Amino acid sequence: MIVYLPAVLFAVGLLVVYGSAGRWRQAGTIAMMVAAAWSLALLVDPGSAAWAIGPLAAILLHPSPSQRVRSSFEGLTRRGVTIAASMLAALFLASRLPIGENPVLVSAIPWFLAAVGAAWFVSPSDQPERLQGQVLMTAGLAGVILAAVPAGPTTAGVAGAMALMPIAGVRARVPGQLRPMFDGLLLLLAAVAVILAATTPAIGRYDLLDLSLNLTGPVLLATALLLVAGVLVTPVGSEWVALLGLLALAAAAPSVRWSALAALVAVATVLERRAERPAWLAVGMLGITPVLAALAASSWSPRVQAVSLALGLVLMLLAAGTGLLRVLALPTTAFLLLLAVGSLSAGQLVRFQWIAAVGALLLGSRALLNTVMQTSGAREGLRDPLIMGLLLLAIGARDSLGLGDLAVVLLLIDLALVRIDDGGARAKGWRGRSLSLARSSWPPSVTFAGATMAVIADVQASLILGLLAALTWAGLQLAPLVDRHHAGAPARERPRSVLGWIGPALSIAAGVAPALILRMLRLSG
Amino acid sequence: MPLALQALLPFIALLAAAAMVRTRPRNPANGWIAFGATAVAAGVAMVELFRLSPGEHVDVPYLTSFPYADLAIRLDGLSLAFASVTLVTAALLMLARQLVQGDRREPWLGWLLTAAAAGAVILAANLLLVYVALQLLTLAWSGALDETAPRRRELRLSLQIADIGLLLAAASAIQSVGTSAFSGVPSDTFGVATFFLVLLPVVIRVGALARVFSGPAASVVFEPAIAWVAPAGYLLLRLLALMGGQLPDQRIAVVVFAGGALAAAGLAALAIWQRTGARLAPLLIAAEAAIALALSVGGDPLLTVASSWAWLTLIPVTGLLSVRMPRESAAYGLSLVQLAMIPGSLAFVGVLLGGLALSARGLLLGMIPIALAVVFALVAIVSNARVARSIQLDVATAWAGALLLVAALPIIVINPLVLPAAGTVRPVPGGTIAANLLGIRTVAGSWPALLVSLALAAVLGLALGWLGGRVPFRLPRRRGRRARPRFQLRWPVPVQSPTLPGWSRLVLWGGFFVAVGIAAARP
Repeated sequence: MIVYLPAVLFAVGLLVVYGSAGRWRQAGTIAMMVAAAWSLALLVDPGSAAWAIGPLAAILLHPSPSQRVRSSFEGLTRRGVTIAASMLAALFLASRLPIGENPVLVSAIPWFLAAVGAAWFVSPSDQPERLQGQVLMTAGLAGVILAAVPAGPTTAGVAGAMALMPIAGVRARVPGQLRPMFDGLLLLLAAVAVILAATTPAIGRYDLLDLSLNLTGPVLLATALLLVAGVLVTPVGSEWVALLGLLALAAAAPSVRWSALAALVAVATVLERRAERPAWLAVGMLGITPVLAALAASSWSPRVQAVSLALGLVLMLLAAGTGLLRVLALPTTAFLLLLAVGSLSAGQLVRFQWIAAVGALLLGSRALLNTVMQTSGAREGLRDPLIMGLLLLAIGARDSLGLGDLAVVLLLIDLALVRIDDGGARAKGWRGRSLSLARSSWPPSVTFAGATMAVIADVQASLILGLLAALTWAGLQLAPLVDRHHAGAPARERPRSVLGWIGPALSIAAGVAPALILRMLRLSG
Repeated sequence: MPLALQALLPFIALLAAAAMVRTRPRNPANGWIAFGATAVAAGVAMVELFRLSPGEHVDVPYLTSFPYADLAIRLDGLSLAFASVTLVTAALLMLARQLVQGDRREPWLGWLLTAAAAGAVILAANLLLVYVALQLLTLAWSGALDETAPRRRELRLSLQIADIGLLLAAASAIQSVGTSAFSGVPSDTFGVATFFLVLLPVVIRVGALARVFSGPAASVVFEPAIAWVAPAGYLLLRLLALMGGQLPDQRIAVVVFAGGALAAAGLAALAIWQRTGARLAPLLIAAEAAIALALSVGGDPLLTVASSWAWLTLIPVTGLLSVRMPRESAAYGLSLVQLAMIPGSLAFVGVLLGGLALSARGLLLGMIPIALAVVFALVAIVSNARVARSIQLDVATAWAGALLLVAALPIIVINPLVLPAAGTVRPVPGGTIAANLLGIRTVAGSWPALLVSLALAAVLGLALGWLGGRVPFRLPRRRGRRARPRFQLRWPVPVQSPTLPGWSRLVLWGGFFVAVGIAAARP
């Protein structure tokens, strides 16, 4: 009977949360969190309860309002249906993915926690509840993965600490006096990462107590890209967010990796809420893959993992139009997928490629449809979705020559650093021409290099993928006719900076010397 | 001097000249600098060609980071012959432009970069590099850094998209044999599908001559000869060289030959109905290119020589017709001889060699459409001919005279240029063709070129004197109306977007999830 106490505590906490406000509501949330930690201690080991430190701190730092917001009948109905549906879905998943011989009600508690978070996020009564929903989703995701793939207390603590990030995304800014030093430090780290990637055959693995960090070639390249993006194109004071992406890439433990990605998405959607739902869906689809690998039956687990990875990537590409989602979350996700695809079997890789191909068609068709229909809101360009389509195809190529990986890096540089604003478009003389060349599809721009490599890589994979990549590249040539210089604007608060030339310079450099990037990928990959 | 440096000399000369003219805008000497640098580049290419032994080829690598796409230069008969002819033509175009009075525009930077890019296309050592160089060439001649720029937009986009066929060919070579380098690709690597992928950019460029080029709108136009004809001919012959000199399927060869020959006849027939005469030259040049294309796919060594001759001589002929000439000038009259494809013209030599090759195989009937093209061209020329009022010694006149001289003395180009180029495409056995001062002798027949040219000169001279300035055979002209091409290639840029029903998105997403479901469910 004692094993059901966490479930009882969770249920009581949930009732208190929905029935009260202010401190009582906060206490109810804390009770749910304690219940989840208790269940983890029972399912894995007591050290895993260290996961709860971060979420608890987040709840204490973000108290609920003392007055409940009055809801209409429709609002109440919607919230009721949402919580019921999410809880049922969580129960279903927990029953399909049991942890050993443990009762479902115990192993389902982390799932329930994530479900409550999802319900508060999708149908919040107010803004604080929405933010708490993100905290619970991040914590729940970490908890679910920890239950399936156990880790030590340090790892569990770091995974749980990611639940603090939604709060930090709202409040934490790098102080103005420290910003130049902080930016300089990040750029220095980026430079070191590039030099290491280019020169050192094997960096290896670093352990901090039980927290392991992998620093291979692709991870070092990704580190450099994220840090440069963090300095150049994130909102002022939010440069630290790039470190979340770094953690996601470097962490060996899946609980830290995917919870860091969830935290990154949470912070990214603080300012730009336009595509938060597909982004969170993507995190969910990607985060479930280690759970499937650990708990699902071997007859269907590999198949669902491949589908989940591909769908998650497609959803993230759909979401990553502007803002931090584009410049940080997208590169992080793409690199994580690059590493994950390498472990797929040949049959599952074909499945991944199919979905990637269909996803590429979806991205292009959707953009074309939006252009034709001229829907309200920002008119999406055609160019960026086509580049994302090429990115999808390149990730799925997994060719022996490594050109698919190279194409991914080049296209990410294009999406995250080069093609993000219209700065300098009206510049005259050599500067204006250089900027135009860097943002064009002519050689030696990074777009040209990435697209060319993507086509070659996809031909290695299969003829159909190659033809689709070639068609996408052809469409990219025509896209400027359809677009009206649509520019993603990731940083409305970012003032003009002399560092704005780095993006175009990177475009030309990467386009001229893709071999150097290939060497970095291969040397320590 | 190390070979690696020698191979770079043409580019160094062109790019150095480009840097010089860029830093000295509006300097009267810029034209001479451009001409000099291009002439030097052409000279270097010719010297390298003369130093090459028969059948020899040298790959000069500079960067080997990509084992399947090294940054390297290919020096063989085909590349050096095309480079020489292209750069000589470019130099002559620059000279002609420099001597034009009254045009204060400064085209030198763009022209130098275009010439350098054309040289890069021709001298690249692997297919991927050729593709990159083709894009650079398109950027250089169009100058369209802004991809929405309206100037030649339709043609530029057509070329960019068609060139993707070459990229696919390079990718398939890398997939098959791990490299796209010319030295590393066996002759059975490319199939019919790859041939058609590479044929597409060739056809688009030939089509550009017929549809887009409407005669020199400016005093001198650079791109038809340098950016369209030269790369088209080189691409086709290079691909054939990679395929062992002939297509694997003879039926495809027959289809392509027939297509090229019929296109030539059609274009030449169309030229007859050109009233204004402005599109006469472009149509007939395109007809000659179509003939060259038809001759290229033959599996006979003599046909290979014929096609090499046809493509190599088409470049300077196109260049000559890219210079605006008064219709009563001697240069115009002499250039019409080249367009007429009559005995004594450069094109006729190629047609004759092709005819001899087919005749030796009992396939002379295949020359009927080409013969029709020649007849139509003659009719079109005669109806547009003007008698020269005076003979002015200018670049165009000298150029036209030089081309007639080459037609009279084919030994000038056959031995140093055509045979090395043809020998790269496929082995040409000794005795297949031999040139001397009097003409050409082949295994299938002879051609007394000098005699025929002298006879042509005599006939033309007599005719001029007899006609007294009037050409009796001329089709009636419609006055006051400018001929408009019927078919125009236009990329659809919608002014007003068509409307789609709101459920279109639903259909799109539904289709996506159905496809995902199928992918998930497949075994």
